[in-house]
Amino acid sequence: MAEQNISPEQIKALQEKIKQMSPEELKEFQKKQCIFCQIVAGKVQSRKVYEDEKVVGILDINPANPGHVLLLTKEHYTIMPQIPDEDVAHTFMIVKSLSNSMLRGIDAQGTNVIVANGIAAGQRAQHFMVHIIPRKDNDNINFILPQKPMDEKQIEAIGNKLIAGLQGVEKNDAVQEKAEQKGSSVSLDEISRLMGAR
Amino acid sequence: MADKAKESCLVCQIIGNKIPSKKVYEDDLAMAVLDVNGANPGHCFVMPKNHYPIIEQVPDLEIGRLFQVSNKISSAIFESLGAQGTNIFVANGIPAGQTVAHFAINIIPRMENDGINLQWQPKQLSEEEISTIELRLKEQTKNIGNFEKHDAKMQARKPAFLPDKFLSEDEEEYFTRQMRRVP
Repeated sequence: MAEQNISPEQIKALQEKIKQMSPEELKEFQKKQCIFCQIVAGKVQSRKVYEDEKVVGILDINPANPGHVLLLTKEHYTIMPQIPDEDVAHTFMIVKSLSNSMLRGIDAQGTNVIVANGIAAGQRAQHFMVHIIPRKDNDNINFILPQKPMDEKQIEAIGNKLIAGLQGVEKNDAVQEKAEQKGSSVSLDEISRLMGAR
Repeated sequence: MADKAKESCLVCQIIGNKIPSKKVYEDDLAMAVLDVNGANPGHCFVMPKNHYPIIEQVPDLEIGRLFQVSNKISSAIFESLGAQGTNIFVANGIPAGQTVAHFAINIIPRMENDGINLQWQPKQLSEEEISTIELRLKEQTKNIGNFEKHDAKMQARKPAFLPDKFLSEDEEEYFTRQMRRVP
């Protein structure tokens, strides 16, 4: 979010430095740089509409609609695959409750729930968050999901790849553990680094 | 009403294997299938096996499971499809773009410049508007907590804020037409 003006040399030096870091050091480094960790800690002002021991909900300062809430994990995670199962469940139970609060409290007629994992998915901040956007008829928001038909062969091939991938994920049940291992085959570390180096 | 909605619900028919689909995951509460007309190849739907039109009706226990499954599918998309990113996307209610009256979570693999746009133009609000919204939301969120393990009553009850047209038979037919694209 906070764009910084740094030279290409500085970026290169930073990337080198980040590459040398252990996962723990990397997390600490990201945390220090992260504006949302400072919001969670109360060091940067925000309008909190919900808080418990695991998550904080704040009003987005650039809302898609009035009442747009960002739900942040208190722990610094860059992307959702790093979050333990238990915390995923808790976070989204709160998402449901916040959606309900919007329908009841601010006359929303619907809600969108959006998570972006990675820059290619539109993620801008380096702290995991869930967007909960109150919706009304004709509110000028238009999320575009194109339709790309697949043929039978593609369906089988991609479906089977995913099934195999899921078995892999389940075997390593805690995906975040795998991502924390240095030199693992998972690209999550790399994605996390790229987010951090932005 | 609930049974009738279920009978005409295409998602329920996919779950009941009356309509063929490419399943990628199934357990006692959740099922995930490939969207064969998805935003990108590998786009999946994660759905509760029970029929709930919107997120407010899904019991907390099932919410937890559905999003855990979604997260695992998102991880699998990164690892086995080589995606550069993933979106978790829910359209809850017709004004939010929901077209099928059965709660579902979209898991969308992302690549740069893939033509998907989940961005928005920020709206400018006055200080007063923001403060009013903050207060009204806080008034509601102070009641959050005490999560149900299982709430049978909630399943049967139609929430007062759910628009009538959302569950009328005409709407169900509309939803059915929309879902025909699923083979």
